[in-house]
Amino acid sequence: MSIRIFQAALTAASLALLPGLAGAQVSEQPPIGDPVPFELPETTGFTLDNGLEVTFIPFGLAPTVNISLQVRAANIDDGSQTFLADLTGAMLEEGSAGRSSDVIATEIAAMGGALNVGVGRHTTNISTGVLSQYGPDAVALLADLALRPNFDDSEFERVRANLVRDVDVQRAQPGSIATEAYARILFGPDHPYGNTLPGEEQLRGYELSDVQAFYATNYGAGRARLYVAGHFDAAAMEAAIRDAFGAWATGDADAAAGAPASGGPIVQLIDRPGAPQTTIRLGFPAMAIGADDAPAMTVMNALLGGSFTSRLTRNLREDKGYTYSPGSGVTWTMEGGYWTFNADVTAADTAAALRETFGEITRLQSETPPADEADGMRNWLAGIFILQNASTGGLIGQLGQRDLYGLPDDYLDQYVPNILAVSDEDISRMARDYLPLDQMVLVLVGDLAVIGDDVRALPEVAAAEVRE
Amino acid sequence: MISAFRSLAGFALLLCAGLCASLCVAPVMAQPATDDGLHIPLRYERLDNGLRVVLAEDHTVPTATVAVYYGVGYRNEPRGMTGFAHLFEHLFFAGSDNLPEPVFYYYISNMGGIANGSTRLDFTNYFGVVPANALDAYLWAEADRMATPTINLQNFQRERDVVRNEIFVNVINQPYGDWTWIDLPMVANENWHNAHNFYGDLSDLDAATVADARAFFEQYYTPRNAVLVVAGSFDSDDTLATINRFFGDIPAGPDLPDIDVSEPPQRAEKHSVMTDPLATLPGLAIAYHMPERGTPEYFAMILIDQILVRGGNARLRRRLVDDLGYGTAVSGGINLLGNVFNYDGPMLWTASIIHDDAIAPDAVLGEFDTVIEALRQEPVSAETLASARSKFLTEFYSQLDYSTRFGVVDLLASFALFDDDPGRINRIEDGFEQVTPDLILETARTWLRPENRTVLELVPGDGRPVAASARSAEEAGQ
Repeated sequence: MSIRIFQAALTAASLALLPGLAGAQVSEQPPIGDPVPFELPETTGFTLDNGLEVTFIPFGLAPTVNISLQVRAANIDDGSQTFLADLTGAMLEEGSAGRSSDVIATEIAAMGGALNVGVGRHTTNISTGVLSQYGPDAVALLADLALRPNFDDSEFERVRANLVRDVDVQRAQPGSIATEAYARILFGPDHPYGNTLPGEEQLRGYELSDVQAFYATNYGAGRARLYVAGHFDAAAMEAAIRDAFGAWATGDADAAAGAPASGGPIVQLIDRPGAPQTTIRLGFPAMAIGADDAPAMTVMNALLGGSFTSRLTRNLREDKGYTYSPGSGVTWTMEGGYWTFNADVTAADTAAALRETFGEITRLQSETPPADEADGMRNWLAGIFILQNASTGGLIGQLGQRDLYGLPDDYLDQYVPNILAVSDEDISRMARDYLPLDQMVLVLVGDLAVIGDDVRALPEVAAAEVRE
Repeated sequence: MISAFRSLAGFALLLCAGLCASLCVAPVMAQPATDDGLHIPLRYERLDNGLRVVLAEDHTVPTATVAVYYGVGYRNEPRGMTGFAHLFEHLFFAGSDNLPEPVFYYYISNMGGIANGSTRLDFTNYFGVVPANALDAYLWAEADRMATPTINLQNFQRERDVVRNEIFVNVINQPYGDWTWIDLPMVANENWHNAHNFYGDLSDLDAATVADARAFFEQYYTPRNAVLVVAGSFDSDDTLATINRFFGDIPAGPDLPDIDVSEPPQRAEKHSVMTDPLATLPGLAIAYHMPERGTPEYFAMILIDQILVRGGNARLRRRLVDDLGYGTAVSGGINLLGNVFNYDGPMLWTASIIHDDAIAPDAVLGEFDTVIEALRQEPVSAETLASARSKFLTEFYSQLDYSTRFGVVDLLASFALFDDDPGRINRIEDGFEQVTPDLILETARTWLRPENRTVLELVPGDGRPVAASARSAEEAGQ
């Protein structure tokens, strides 16, 4: 075929140009063409009389549909009862509308899916993905789960024991240990943000009546949004949704407030004898997701630690080999946010890794990044925006975040232009305004016999309140 | 699973590791896959140097996905060099003759793309996505490192340190870090190729040299041993010409060594106990050798996997978790380092549970047996079979609708590499049509025999991680 002829001709040409070179390569980088615009898929929506907001996202080619009910009844509503939202979410899976979880699991499996309940900081997500033709039936099962849980006493003890077991396993993981201590410093012991794991005795003390009370107070159509993404018959789905969710009570309005993070300087050292690595959390309070500075913070984060080509990755991993997994990110909350750098570094290199990290922050604060480096970061964020949005799960996640934080309807349309408008100097300004080392929060989980002395001798640590 | 780069916290993108189904062209949209099966239009060519090329054009999203699969992985890495395939994967990101700086990943990132690599049983793969306008540049960079990667002492030592840290964070400093996907195959298999520490004994990694890396590259990273897949928004004729220009002159490479990776038939049940010093609760895992890939029994085992461990109605979960409360979840599956399609050789079906201290391992095993024996006694109902098939199809189709298209290119590359037939992707559904309740019964009777099984008990230890050197010696002695 023609390709063979073409190739033969090309081979001859290459050899003529570069005689004697085995595997002569094309040495010149090809030009990069003009970008092709990417447009988000059109969505449609409607609101039921009880306040339930529904968004339809037709997208993709697979004959499947994803359905996600996001209820603002989550850990932020725990009060002092850490994980009560998790226990409530787990009990939703234990049967509804008078039918057992076994029967329901069999029905949804016949449609190709499973019903999942995920509890987060701000929302509980009840979701499923099924073959498209079963979409309306799946809506009915999902509504049963959210509206008519059995809350059967005979299931409760086992479900609570499951959570006790999960928490036990999490407390054996260095990452969970570090994150728990870090959140406690940022938010204190009195806000749910500051309590990421319950005590075992505390968890064992919860009764079914606590779950029922949490459900009665926090679940309702007025605090929920339903997203449908994929391939589906919109009219049939709308009818199924009106039928299944129309009678849901509006419920109480949200009552739990967010909390701003507080800074340090506070250093907490947690001993893990024999640990070959030290698990690091370093962070500072940040702005809210809708703030004017948020796009600049996003670019700063990508350049400093939030991408694989970031300075911290290049320094700690690509140059020094101290770690496999450095990274940073901004976590948004209802009252602001916080920026975190995390890594697991070879124990013996802990102090050196921290010295390099502080050094990179200081350098970014004092020197505007070169234009080509900043351009690369802006390009990367614009490029991955497509990937973040070109899937059913990604679209639900992005729209869910927009809606949760009350961002403008065109937030996603403006995202890339806002990122591209961040100036090089803005990037340094973000590091100056939001990453003051003399107000850092630092948690280290590692073998203190190996790392303790070196870490305490770092000037930034010596100037902080050190908790051990 | 084992990747050159780890997903970053607070970073949504790379957490969605699957990808976009947009491989069907527009006319197919009117005929969803359920009507007459999945149909991904593709073009398959072999260059004169042996490089297999698969093109799957689709313009729904203005990006292009590129993947190169080399036919060397954990299973067929050289004896005595455990973990070398993975170490080399890291090294392959360290630059190439015409792209010394910025090295590969930075080059891709700056044009708005992402790239990664991973090491699996039977291949090492490099994959990424870029805006469609940057496809040629991506192909050029990929060709340059296939021809002339930078392999020097400095990069080698650094990447070995990074790999050591990867093993620490994923295994040595992590409870339950490796028991089902490293330890269990090591016990269940007999042939060294299937039974060595895939991540690498630290002593082997320490002993590896730059010369080893150069020899490994010359033997395995050749057009003859590779598949290139491009999926997304491009013109197939133009891109094929571009591929010829960039890859066509790379020498085919030497013949590949003939390696026997077969497993002898298992005659008696194996039982092993391991200590996980960081674990707080005991665990129990079972593994059965699988029927050969592509046979009717293989497709039956995929549905048995659905019946036993996948989804809310999975029988092992219903029994051990929901009825008895022994643990929080039953995990498992086929090819824990990949999926049911992307391997080529002996394979295990695995199930495991982390369970309460108060429950004896024998009691847990007894319940596994009760559930599995039921499958060997009488045929499943038509409803059970239909449900297993629906669950499989939802998983399979969902993989197609991810924005990176990584799921699709993985299947295309695997079928090209192992079967010289990427078109198998469009016939996967057929394999399941032939599965009947009787075939499920027969498959369970033949393959889910206790004599075909390995049982691994995990016992909690004292909470102190095994020192890296001690662990290395212990594993080397196994």
